Order: sequence, then C-alpha cells, then structure tokens
Amino acid sequence: MNGMANYLMKRFLSMALAMIGLTLIAFFLMRIMPGDPIEAYYQANHIPVTEEMLEQARQEQGLDKPLFTQYITWLGGVMTFDFGTSFMNGKSVSEELLAYFTVTIQLALVAFLFMLIICIPIGILSAIKQNSVFDHATRLTIFSVASMPSFWLGFVLIYVIAFKLDLLPLMGWGTPQTIILPALTLALGNIPFYIRMIRTSMIEQMKQPFVTFARARGISESVIIRKHIFKATLTPFVTSLAMTFGILIGGAAIVEMIFSIPGMGRYIVGAITARDYYVMQGFIMMIGFFFIIVNFLADLLCALIDPRIRLKENLS
Amino acid sequence: MLKKEYLFLVIMCVSLLLGACSDVTSSKSKEGNGTDKNTLTMSWPLDIGEANPHLYSPNEMFAQAMLYDPLVVYGTDGTISSGLAEKWDVTEDGKEYTFYLREGVLYSDGSKLTAENVKRNFETVIGNSLAHSWLEVVTIIDKVEALDELTVKVSLKEPYYPFLQELALIRPLRMLGDAGFPDSGNTVDGIKEPIGTGPWILKEADENHAVFIRNENYWGEKPPIEKVEVKYIADSQMRMMALEKGEIDLIFGSAQLMPSEFTTLQQNDKYVTKISDPLSTRILSLNTTYGVTKHKEVRLALQHALDRQTIIEHVLSGLEQEAHSLFAPGFPYSDIEIEKYNYDLKKAQQILDEAGWAMDEKTGIRSKDGEKLELLIAYNSSDQVHKAIYEYLQGAWKEIGVEVELVAEENQVYYARTKSGEYNIVMNDTWGAPYDPHMYLRTMLGEQQIGNYSLSGTDASGKLTEEITRVIRSTNEAERSSLYESIIQTIQQEAIFMPISYRQNYLVANDVFKTMTFSPQQFEVPTNLYEMK
Amino acid sequence: MRINRSENSIEGEFVVRKKWAFYCSTFLVCLLFFMAVFGPWLMPNDPHVPNMAAKLQGFSAQYPLGTDHLGRCVLSRLIEGARVSLFVAFIVLAATLSISMIVGLTAGYAGGWIDLVLMRICDILLAIPNFIFALVIVGALGAGMKNLVIAIVVVVWVGFARVIRNMVISLKETNYVVYAKICGVPTWKIILRHIVPFVFPQMLLLKLIGLGSTILMISELSFLGLGITPPTAEWGMMISESKTYLMTKPELMIIPGVMISLTVLIFNAFGDSLRDVLDPKST
Repeated sequence: MNGMANYLMKRFLSMALAMIGLTLIAFFLMRIMPGDPIEAYYQANHIPVTEEMLEQARQEQGLDKPLFTQYITWLGGVMTFDFGTSFMNGKSVSEELLAYFTVTIQLALVAFLFMLIICIPIGILSAIKQNSVFDHATRLTIFSVASMPSFWLGFVLIYVIAFKLDLLPLMGWGTPQTIILPALTLALGNIPFYIRMIRTSMIEQMKQPFVTFARARGISESVIIRKHIFKATLTPFVTSLAMTFGILIGGAAIVEMIFSIPGMGRYIVGAITARDYYVMQGFIMMIGFFFIIVNFLADLLCALIDPRIRLKENLS
Repeated sequence: MLKKEYLFLVIMCVSLLLGACSDVTSSKSKEGNGTDKNTLTMSWPLDIGEANPHLYSPNEMFAQAMLYDPLVVYGTDGTISSGLAEKWDVTEDGKEYTFYLREGVLYSDGSKLTAENVKRNFETVIGNSLAHSWLEVVTIIDKVEALDELTVKVSLKEPYYPFLQELALIRPLRMLGDAGFPDSGNTVDGIKEPIGTGPWILKEADENHAVFIRNENYWGEKPPIEKVEVKYIADSQMRMMALEKGEIDLIFGSAQLMPSEFTTLQQNDKYVTKISDPLSTRILSLNTTYGVTKHKEVRLALQHALDRQTIIEHVLSGLEQEAHSLFAPGFPYSDIEIEKYNYDLKKAQQILDEAGWAMDEKTGIRSKDGEKLELLIAYNSSDQVHKAIYEYLQGAWKEIGVEVELVAEENQVYYARTKSGEYNIVMNDTWGAPYDPHMYLRTMLGEQQIGNYSLSGTDASGKLTEEITRVIRSTNEAERSSLYESIIQTIQQEAIFMPISYRQNYLVANDVFKTMTFSPQQFEVPTNLYEMK
Repeated sequence: MRINRSENSIEGEFVVRKKWAFYCSTFLVCLLFFMAVFGPWLMPNDPHVPNMAAKLQGFSAQYPLGTDHLGRCVLSRLIEGARVSLFVAFIVLAATLSISMIVGLTAGYAGGWIDLVLMRICDILLAIPNFIFALVIVGALGAGMKNLVIAIVVVVWVGFARVIRNMVISLKETNYVVYAKICGVPTWKIILRHIVPFVFPQMLLLKLIGLGSTILMISELSFLGLGITPPTAEWGMMISESKTYLMTKPELMIIPGVMISLTVLIFNAFGDSLRDVLDPKST
C-alpha cells in the first residue's frame, strides 16, 4: 500500500499546483480586458463621469490597490468560500453563482439525458448493423443536425416546434416542458462525437477474442451484445462525462441567451460586459474546481482499480 | 467497476427526475396568461432588479416609475405639474423651493407620506454623492428641512433653473416608505421592501416574470387594470412570437423591437400599433480634434453628403422623422429656425474640391497634402441599427471619395475609445425628456465626453463653453431663450453634429386595449392609463 | 477458416464503400476551396456595396439568392463568407497544430516536472469552458480577424497538446525508441525520426476532423458581433443581421445557416472518411 500512498501524494500535490494556477488565471483573465467594473457601471446607466469620480469609486471598491494586494485579499476570501460581492448588484457572488448554476446544471443534465437517449441506441444499432442503410442514414441525419450552429438551430426549433406547431411553450423556465427545446439544442451539437465513440468501441469489442469465444459457445447474439460488448463500451462513455459537462456549460451560454433562460451562461456573458471581476473570478474558480476535483477522483479511481497505473506513475 | 457506472447513471437520472418534479410544484403559480380581462401582460428584455428607487441598474426604470412617485411630474412639452407635492413656491433668487405635500397620501404598507419621510429620502440620496455626482439636481442641494407635517423646504447652493424638471426624473429622487429602508438607513445597501406611493404594488418577482397589482390606496386616479404581468424575454423575435401566441399582449418601446420588426407587425392587421412624439435625437457626432474631421470643410462636405431620407426609409423602416436641428421642436427652448444642410452630393464634392481634397483616380479616395480622406467610425458590436447605418454610409461615401473604416468593438472597448477620442464619427443620441436640452449641452463641457470632442476642436469652442455655462445658471427666462438660440446656431454653423432623425417610441399590442398611451419620459410605461376592452 | 474468409470479404466491401465516401467528401471539400479561392470571379455582384433601392429582394437573375437588408447580394456575401471561414479555419489549424506539437512533444518526451507543469497548465485551461474563454479573449483584444484567430488558437490548442503528450509517452516505450536510445541516438533525432512521423499525421487528421467545430466557433463569435468586422461578410454575422427578418424573409437567415451546416458537415465527413481510409483498423 506504500505505492498507493506515494501515488496519492503525487497526485495531490499536482492538484494543489493546478488550483493555484487556476486562481491566477481566474484573477488575471478579466483584467487583461480594457475597462473596469466602475466604468462599466456608469456606462450602463449612461452617466457621464469625470476621472475624479472614477478614481473615488475605485478607491471605495479597493480597485486602486496594486494588483498583487488585490489578488491576496481575494484569495483570502476564497479560502473561506467568500468570493466577494458583485459590482453590478451588490449581491454575494457565491449565492448568485449557486442560483444560476443550478439552472445551468439542470439544463446540462437534461441535455445529457437526451444525449444518452439518442446516442446509445443509435450507436449500438449502427455498430450491429454496420454499413447497412440504417447505419448510413442515421449517421447522415444526426451528423447534419449536429453541424448546425446552435444559435441557428435554436431559432429554427423555436420557430417550427413552439411557434408554428404550438407543441411546446415558447419560453420561460421552471416547468418540464420549457426545458425540452433548449436541452435538445444543447445536446444535438455534441451527439456525433459520442455516437462515433460508441460505434467504434463496440465494433472493436466485437472483434475481441472473448466475443468470438462466446459466439463459439453458442451464446445468443443479443446476450453477447448486452452482457459483454455494451458494458465494455460504456466505460469510455462515462469517463468522458466531466469533459462533456464543461462543453455543455460553455455551450449553454448561447442557448440560454436565445431561450431567455436565467442560467449561468447568460449571467456570465453579462458579467463579461460589465467587467464584474468577482463574478467572473468566482465562476472560473467554481468550474475549475469542479473539473480538477473530478479529474483527480477519476485518476484515483483508475489507480485503485488498475494497479499498473500507479506503478507506472511511480516509476517515471 | 461497471456496476458502479450503472449506479452512477441511475442516480443521475433519478436526481434529474426529482429536480424536474420539484420544479413542477414551484411553477404552478406561474400559469397566468393574457386572456384575463383585467390583466395586462407585457414583455421586457431584463428582469426588474431590486426596484430600489434611489439607485441605477440593475433596477429597471419602468418598474421604478410604476412603484414610486416624484414630488413633481414632467408633462408633455416640458410643463411641470403637481405630483406628491400639491404646490410649491420658489424664491426670487431661484435658490429656495418650498413644497406643500398632498394630504392623505398613503404608502403601500399603509403608512402616511410626511415631510420627515421626504426629507429622509432626499438625505439618503444626497449622502450617496458618489453615485449621483453627475446629476446636478442632487449635488446642487444645500439642505432639506421639514417645516411642518406636510411642508418641505429645499435650499440650493446656486440657482439651477432645470431643478424641477430633474426632480421629476424616474430616479433617484422618488419616495420610499420608511419601512422600506434597510437597517443601516442607507438605501445603497439595498431596500427591505419596495414600498412606494405609486399606482402599482409589486406582488411577486422571480427570474421569469414580475407581477404588479393595483394600489387601491393610490392618491391619483386609480388604474383601470387590476394586474400587470411582466414577462422577461431576452430576444426580440421571441417577443414577436409570444405576442402572436397571446402569451403577452403588449410590446412597449423601441428598445424591444428593431424598426424593421415593428413595421413587420404594423403591416399585420391583427395588431394595434402606435408611435409616439419625438423623444430624442439620433445624431452622428464628429470629432473635431482627430484626423480629417478637424477640418471644417470636411465636416461641411459630410453634412451635405448625409442622405437622411434613405437612412430613415431603408434602415429605420421609415419610422422616424428627418432631423436637422439638435433638439426636436417642442422641447423647451428648441423652436429655433436653423439653416439646414440639404443632401447634395455635388455640393459636397464641390466643397472638397475647393478645399484642395483631390481625388486619386486609382484608389478613388481623396487626399490633401498626403493626408487621406479617411474616416474612422467605431460602434458597439451588438448594435444592429448603428451597424446598418454605418455600412450604408461606408458604401455611399465611397462615391465622393471618402473612405470609411468601420471598427466593431465590444461595449466597454468601444466606450474606452470614445473616451480617448480616437474616432472621427460616433453615434450619440441626445438624452431625451426631461434632460434635453440642458443636460446634453452641459455634458459637452465634461472632459473625455463625446460632445466635448465635438466642441473643443472648433474655433467657437470658447464661445460655446461660456454660453453653456451661463445658461444653466441663468434665472431669467428671456436670457435663457436667447442663449440657447445662440448655442444651437453656433453648433449648426460649426457642423459638429449631424442629426439624422428624431427617435420615437413605439408599441405593438394585441387588440385588447381601449386606451394606450406614451409617457413623455422615454423609459416610463404608463400602464396606469391603459384600459382593456 | 471459414469465419476468417467471410470477414475478409466484408472488409473488402468496406474499403470500397469507404473509398466512395472519401472521394465524395474530398470532391465537396475541393468544391468549397474552389469557391473560396476563385470567389472574386464567381461573385455576381460586389458583396459590400449597399443598394437601398434593391433591398430585401427575392431570387432573380441579377441577385440569384436575393438581397439583404441593405440591398447587398446574398450570394456574393455567401461566397465571401466561405473565403473568410476557410481562411481563418486553416490559419487556426496551422497555428494550433504547431503550438500543440511543441508543447505535447516537450511534455511527453521530457517527462518529469516539465510534463507536470505543462499538463497542469493544460488542466487549468481545459477547465474553463471554451466558448466563454474565447469570448473573454476577443473582448479583451477587440473584434477583427486577427484577434479572432488568436482567441480560437489560445482556446483549442490545449486539448490537442494533451493528446500528443499521451501519444508520445506510449511511443517512448516502444521497442524501437528504447532501442534507439540505448544505441545513443541523439534525442532530437529520435523525436524527428521515430516520434514526429507517427504523431503528425494522426494530429493532422484530428485537426481536420475538428475543422468543423472551428468554423462553428468563428460563426458563433461573429454572431455575437465579436468576430469578423464589416464590410467583410461572414455567415454568423449574416445570420445575426437577418434575424430580425425571420418572420418576413426567413430565407435570409436560413441560407447562411444551411451554408454553415453544410460546410461543417462536409469537413466532418471528410475527416471521418479520411480516417477510415488511412487507418482501416479502427473502422
């Protein structure tokens, strides 16, 4: 078990390193943009300002201090889960982010569910019926839909399904019906990648000796597929979950703008315009945190399951 | 290992379902719709914020105006009438105002409007000088006294003739009930509850919508409609679809629909549309301190090369009226005869030829002494109307040998550019009622302001600066009139602004209303005057 | 034996079909390139000159796909959009390929703390959603083609660098590399001879497959007004311009949308079939 402890230690250190880097990026990313929250606030209200007014306001908000001091102050807050307050509305960033984040998470989860519902059967079928008409037709359809830009697809879906056919509500948030179209828009763009993944890995699994043996033993094809091939296929699919989630959250911004959803993406795009430093910093920290922790846990899990990994890592 | 993954998937799906279910229960109350006879449903692009009467964004002005009242009200043509103050006196020197409050005005929580409460509101706003230092109505106040239960005296440091106009503004000088103040006593920290004297009471607000109900204790004429529901819809096309589906009945204001979208709806007999009187002026502001627009003859030539009619007809869908003067007739001190610059490409070319800007046959661009006749025009990348106008000008001015470089920039980057004066032309609308004309002109004196870059490179810059400073302080009506006339004429002669059109507000509604109107203040939706069929 | 034979015959059929898909998509890609390269000669009208008298016209001989809200020829603008999209996409491809090759090779081959630091940097950058990251960068630098390229490159190189690094690590342990090392072949030679030739084509392939998503990103940013600047036409920008005419002239919005979809689809299909042809093992 010494190897495990050693490995854990190493992974933990590198995770800590990543966290520090993340705080740096989070802090400085917004500051490379011209302008600051004070100016943005006045400008949003069409208020003509003088330099003195700006200086005074900056002083009040502590934005006149050297960047490094600001960074340390902010970092101190982050340690105690205090991400500061928003410049635009004076509310606590952590509370705001949490509220918007739940909306986006819901959207992303439903989108993910759609992805599963669409990808798994189509992926499997097109693997089993490899190169049949079905395989080609579905792949072509799915690929064409996925090639559509989400800002465009969103409009088309709204126009046709919600407006012309009147099947779903146009907008709003909170009821199960309202989530369908945005989640679908969000999901469609990411589908081909996964269909391809499932199809490829299934086909690969089918060529494995154990499948041939199972066939030789006379086990029915459906059992082979269900019990052996599909299970093996699921592994890469699930491990790519964290990555997909990041993509979904990023993609959610445009979808949320089109569908008027009060979610994270829209909030963040607003925060960029307003140069709301603390909101942006909090956002990057939160997403990054999530991502890094998930990665860490995934590595850990793999190491637990497969001793070769930690052995290799320790040797190098 | 595989079991774990299955388990994970199952847990995820279950939590998802749970999430969806909990939403169902929480959203039952949102089933309001536009068919209710006594409910007005309208769209708005943003949520209303906290509805704090003393602060700016993210508080939306239309909601502030629905909930809170000013001491005096700005009417059409700039007349001032009584609001919470029934009448008022001004001393001869223009420095002391005494307001006599209306008797028996109740806040939505049942408390009474008193002089002490008005004083408290004033003092909170004055105390927050940082946020309001741009607004003279706040900085000019010396002190506020409550003379008795219903009398308030406001003393000014200096005379300021637009004092009453600015008191009528939607923010920051409207009255919040005592129970609405936070524990710190300072509304900068937020308010406890939006308690006002206005015609409406905020009943509920969430991320999807806000609901206002009629204030049964309203001191003025009570709104005929019982309830107003505001649905937040971020995209204009979605608003149009929502209107057609009857999810909303009213789209109010030019901020919610592009001109072309409005005309689309206008052509449909299903809808009722309305256009307001001019509210502000859409102008191109020339920078007289940068590049080729330093030269007066270039500015004059551009004035003659501006085809307002085409812009209005094709980009603005024929909605707005042609503008030649800085402020629309009908605004205070603005009925001034000026010499128009008519659209005349030949004349524009002649002016340039005479001034020595010779056409380069190869590039088709004029130049003089090695300086190319090139204009840098910057705009906010998200503004489609501005973009279309500029793209049109880019093509049209090429014909007379003027090259236009368009720079699309993210909002703040664009703003930084206007502040540093690195442009030849930007769009800069006037402020509209009740600010025009005094606020727009006064802002021209501020450093780094767009108006200042237009003014300071001209020969008349000293004269204009002096006259604008004087007109704000003047207590004599006749003197003010003549000063304004002189200012407007000088601006016209120096050709520093190119007014394009007078902007108007417009609305589109389903055919369910008996009366619909506009307010003289651009950002107010006078829902209290609306009546349903 | 019997099983084997039948499999072989199926494989043979695969190859034919794959080839067919490959030729087809290659032809379409070439068509796109033809359109982009010879664009100026193909355009029926000047894509920049507004002609207000002819705005929002339908299909006609002079304007095959009608005109937009400023009376500009839609077809000409579409062609210009193709030029812009392909040009930007390929510059992005070249830039990301070189950056991620350098970083990936360094990290993978050197290993140790260099690897650790570089991969942690990748971790962090990967943690920020692509679109938001790009939005911040374009916002900071300002709109325009150059800044658009920079933003997209900064955002997308990371993932590829990681893939390369992993490939290099596994290659490092192959017998021939180990053998070369033992024989004292200099490091740069090992990298150039034994690693790059293996990594590069795979990466090029991955990048080609990713070309579609690059084109999508360009149009997304332009849709928000932060990509290509006027007068240059770009598909995403055309969509956002014509959004207001969705009810009256939906084709204005549909045409550029279809164009984006088609281009992305063609590139995806091309990348896929190319992979199939080059690497028959993976199907």
